[in-house]
Parts: sequence; C-alpha cells; structure tokens
Amino acid sequence: MSMFRRTFLAAGALCAAALTGATAQAEEKPSVLGIGVFSFTSGATAAYGLPGRNAAELMVEQINAAGGINGVPLQPTFVDEAQGTEGVITEFRKLSADKTNEIMVAALSSGNCMALAPIVDELKIPTVGWNCDTHQLFAKGAHPYYFRPNGNTVPEFLSFALYLLSVKPDVKRIAIINPDYAFGHDAANIFIAAIKRMKPDVEIVAELYPKLGSATFQTEISRLTAARPDVVFSNLWGGDLENFVRQATPRGLFSRSQVIFALGESSLQNVTIPEGVIVGVLGDGWWKSPDATSNPEAKAFVEAYRAKYGAYPVFPAMKMANSFLYVKHAYEAAMKTNGGKWPSRDEVAAAMRGSVVKTLTGTTTTREDNDGIVDQIVGMTTTSPDLPFPVLGRMARYDGKALMPPMNSDPIGWISSLPDGFAATQPQPGSYQ
Amino acid sequence: MLQILIPILVDALANAALIFFVAVGLTLVFSVLRILNVAHGSFYSIGAYAAASLGLWIIGSGLPAWLTFPSLLVSAALVAGIFGPAIERTIVRWTYGKSEAVQILVTFGLFLILEDLQRIVFGVNSLYEDTPMGLLGSVTFGGVVYLNYQLLLIGLAILTIVGLKFLIGHTRLGRLIAAVVADREMSQAMGINTDRVFMIAFTLGIFLAALGGALATPTSGVTPGLGADTMVLAFAVAAIGGLGRIEGAAVAALIVAVARVLAIYYLPALDAVAPYIVMLVVLLIRPYGLFGSVAARRI
Repeated sequence: MSMFRRTFLAAGALCAAALTGATAQAEEKPSVLGIGVFSFTSGATAAYGLPGRNAAELMVEQINAAGGINGVPLQPTFVDEAQGTEGVITEFRKLSADKTNEIMVAALSSGNCMALAPIVDELKIPTVGWNCDTHQLFAKGAHPYYFRPNGNTVPEFLSFALYLLSVKPDVKRIAIINPDYAFGHDAANIFIAAIKRMKPDVEIVAELYPKLGSATFQTEISRLTAARPDVVFSNLWGGDLENFVRQATPRGLFSRSQVIFALGESSLQNVTIPEGVIVGVLGDGWWKSPDATSNPEAKAFVEAYRAKYGAYPVFPAMKMANSFLYVKHAYEAAMKTNGGKWPSRDEVAAAMRGSVVKTLTGTTTTREDNDGIVDQIVGMTTTSPDLPFPVLGRMARYDGKALMPPMNSDPIGWISSLPDGFAATQPQPGSYQ
Repeated sequence: MLQILIPILVDALANAALIFFVAVGLTLVFSVLRILNVAHGSFYSIGAYAAASLGLWIIGSGLPAWLTFPSLLVSAALVAGIFGPAIERTIVRWTYGKSEAVQILVTFGLFLILEDLQRIVFGVNSLYEDTPMGLLGSVTFGGVVYLNYQLLLIGLAILTIVGLKFLIGHTRLGRLIAAVVADREMSQAMGINTDRVFMIAFTLGIFLAALGGALATPTSGVTPGLGADTMVLAFAVAAIGGLGRIEGAAVAALIVAVARVLAIYYLPALDAVAPYIVMLVVLLIRPYGLFGSVAARRI
C-alpha cells in the first residue's frame, strides 16, 4: 500500500469517526436550545410585530423559569423582518449554520415565509411559521420541515364572509383595501370567492392594494367613499391599519359603510376603532375570549404580559405564545417517543406532524401537509365597562375544521363547491359567549 | 360624472401640493448649486419627524392645540437652520465642479447617514400627530368628505409658488441667485459672494423639503424609510418639469398627482408605477423635461 493510499484511508477513517461523533452529539442533550425568532420590530409594521416578539421573550422566560424543555433552557435570537426579504434569508441561513439553533420560529410576513420555504427545505431545520397565513405556502408543494400551527387564509377570510352575511344579509356593494403583497391579494381572493358563492349578486365596486408601509391613504379613502360601498373589507395591519383608521375616521368612512378589519383586534389598544366595526384575530387568539378567560394558564400569561409590557397581549402575541407551546410540545412528544433522548431535527418534525396541541386559546391540529387547523373568532367592536378601549362583542367562533379545505385541493374551487345553505349551518354572531 | 370628477380633482391637487414642496426644493438646489442632492428626501422625513415630535410635545405639555399649526413651520425652519449651512459648508461645498458621479456618491452617503441618524434620534417606530387636521374639520365635495387641512395644503402650495417667483424676480436675494444661476464666474467677478448665495439656496431647498414633510404629518404617519420613497418621487417630478424650473416643478407635481390618482381610481395595480410611466413618456418626447431646455436660463 502506497504512502498516499495509507494516508488517504487514515484521513477517511478519521472523517468517519468525526461524523459518527457528530451524529451522536446531535442526540445528546445540549446546554441550550437556540431558537431563531423572526418578527417585525421596527417601522410601520412593528405595531403588529412587537407584541409577537414580546410574547416570545415572555414565553422563553416562563419556560426557562420552569426548567426549560427537559432541563434545556431556550436561547432565542430575535431577527427584525423590517430589513427586507434578502436580509431575512441571510439571517435565517446564518442562524441555521449555528448548530446551537435547532429550530426556527419564522416568520411574520407571508412574503417572507414564501421566500424562506425553499431554504427550510434545503437546510432541513424545523420551522414554525408563527404568522404565515397565505394558503399558497403549502399549495405549491410540500415543505416537510415547515409547520404552520396557526391556520391559513382560507378559514380566516371565509369566516369574515360568513359573519358579514349574518349581520348584513342585504349587502350589495363591497370595496376592498388590502396591502399589496401575497397576504393582501390572497385574502381578497378568498373573501370575494366566499361572498360570491353565498351571495352571487354582490358587486365588488373597488379593489385597492396600497403598498405595505404607506404613510397616507387619503386618495384611497376618497376612492372608497366615492364608490359608495355598503361594506369596506380590509386586512391592513400594523401601522398601516392605524394610519388608515386615523385618516378615515374624520372623513366619515365608518359612518357610511360597514367596515371589516380582519386584523383589527391587534390595533384596538393603539387607535380608536369606532364601535360596530367587524374585527377578527385570524384564528382563536383573542386574549379575552371565553376559552382564554376560563384557562388559568392563559390568564396567567395575560397578567404577566400586562405587567411586563404595559398592554394586553393582542392576537399576534397570542399566536407567538401558542407557537412556543407548540414547539415545547413537539420536543416533549419526540422525547417521549424516542425513550427520553434529546430529539434530532427529524424527530422534532415528525412529532409536529399530526400533533394535537392544547394552546392558551384553544387547540391546534397539524395535518399531514403540516398546515394547522384552528378555530376562527370574529366579532364586532363594542365598548367595555372595564377597559379603556373597545373589545370584541357579538362573537362567533367557527370550527376551524369546517372552514379548512381538504389537503391538496384548490381553495377557490373548494369554496365554490360549498353546499347551498352552508352559511346556515355555521355559528351565528353572538353565539360565542 | 361630476361625482367622480370632483373627488379626482381635489385628490390630485392635495397630492400635488405635498409633492410640490419637496420637488421645488430639489430643483432650486440643482439650479443654483448644479448638484443633484440624493439626500434631499431625508430632509422631508426629518421635517416630518421634527413636526410630529414638536406637535406631540405641545399636546403633551398641555399647551394650546392651535400652537401645532405654527409648530409645522417652526419645525421646517429648525431643520433648515440646523442642517442647511452645516451640510453645505462641510460636505456639499467639496463637490462643486466635480463630476455628477462624485456628487451623487457623496450625497448618497449623506442620505445613508441621515437615515441612520433619524433612527437614532426618533427611534424605529411610527409617529402620529394629527391635531391640526382635527382642528380644521372637514367639508364635502361630490359626496366625498375632505379635510379642510387638505385644502389648506393646496393654498399653501400656491402661496409658495407665488412667494418663490416673487423672491427670484423682485428681491435683491432673488436677483443675486438669478445672476449666479446665469453665470457663476461672471457673478464672482462682479463681486457677488457666491459662497453665501450657495449656502442660502441650499438652506432654502432644505427648508422646502422639511416644510413638505412637516405639512404632511397631520394627514399621514411618519415612519422610517419615508425619505427614500419621497426622494424617488421628487426626482421624477423634477425630471418631468425640467430640472431647475419652479413652474416646471408645479406643473409636473400636478401631472404626477393626476396620474397617481387616476391609477388609484381606475387602475390600482399601476398606482406605484404611474409617476414613472409619466416620467418615461415625457422624457422620451422632451429629454430636458416639459419646461427645460439645453441653454435656457433657469429659475
């Protein structure tokens, strides 16, 4: 055997030994469990993203105070999505390269989630889309390591169509103003398809898609008013939503049309949304819902959040908190399956798939396509005797399963095929008390 | 028909008014100093942040709410007074006579510095201060409710056009500026302190940008990144009108505003690109803009 050949074989043996060691090391209990947490924490969108970040911080504190996950404390790294998608991808790759980070909670923006999906596939790192709503995430192919426990745009916006037709069955003219990216367009498509299915004579009199982060909506408000709609539907969020409310209120939009703010609950504490506006929480994450207020863990979380941040946890905060419970559950379930060893990434992903997790505000069920099923709460703003801001009244809680299209189906096609009288089988406003 | 024409007209005028302030400042600086100030939009956002902060302080201190009106002007004056002379003397002056590439690189660097400076001073979250809007109430045109503050903006923009034309045509400072614009070397030979004229013109340009930002705050939010958006739009307006022409900036602001409003009303998908489509068409037909010419005296 030549000298070269011996050296080569020895090097190969060393590499093999190193690899074996690495594999074994990955299954040993680490000193910390690193988690990348992505949200918007600056700019106009921070009004929505900061509560999510705060909830992550609080959940980490609480989980660590209770001993972490099987004795392993969580170590979050927060990433601001306001830097743009390119920056988000770079940060995601950088964090994933650090073996301390075994799981990601990313991201807030549907656009960023779509951009991250192929990266998640490539890096094979379990990732929880804590606020990814666009149904397109799993519509264009499977992402075995990407999980969305918080539901998608189909049940979310179908629920608003159901609610609207219950409280305003004579609606004829609807105008839409949504942000100009995947989430805004998807929401409009779902909402219009649902309305058209259940009330075909409705006319869409204006569809506006201002840029995310617009400082002014004055011209859009003129356009909406000039269209004379019975209903204005919007899934604006964060600073955009607050700006819109501030600018539309003195211009009489709320007195002329029934307004729907799909993400309205997230701004109730920041801006005065008039009474009678239909608002939702894109899921079941309403901190003051009957389920949440009767859950001691949820009550404790709300009180701790209020004490730490001086505000009540709006639904992005509840979504994030529920996502952390989902992560914790996955690790614990994986360890239960593998005999108590620290789980590999594949084992964590396997534990997420098909899981049924009790959250602070309800239950999330993960299907085989990694999409989550959660209930949808929709209500109408009303004054509260004990709070200085409006709350949700006349609530309906829709069964998430009933509003979720089957796996691998075209959501618009599924909505179009809903049976006649579907709306009549659904909960009515005021039924959730 | 009138029910839709009136809102379009009012919206276009209100939009044009805000764009005009920042575009005319840009064109004034270009005509006198012969530099394309990429950092110009930053002064718009600094003016907006300053006005929102001052307004919030006035309301927070329990001072009379009407003080938020003069505070808009004071904010713009403060921004111009602090940044104008300092930046012209320390940074911009070194680019006079240099190639356009150097001027753009230097002012782009300045833009990046100012953007970070805003984040440090004002934070990364949005500010809202709409007291002046609320104080003035509203009026209805064509079935659409408009804010009286929006109409005030239109009036202020017209006043600014008249004021600038008067300044250039009927005051000593205006004649000095016109002389420097017409022939810089000859003006120096005649004893005009061109350095001083440059500094005044640059500061006036910054004041107009900051005033645009300050006046915008009551009807819009102030967020990081506002300067970049505004800058791109101001460039388009200045290019359409012909760089260096006050009346060009006014007409171009109106054209761009009409294009944007029509897009929002009839083709919302083109909202963001409408101003640049107009710019493309105008520059293809008239490469020096609507009012620009190769050798014409500017201002």
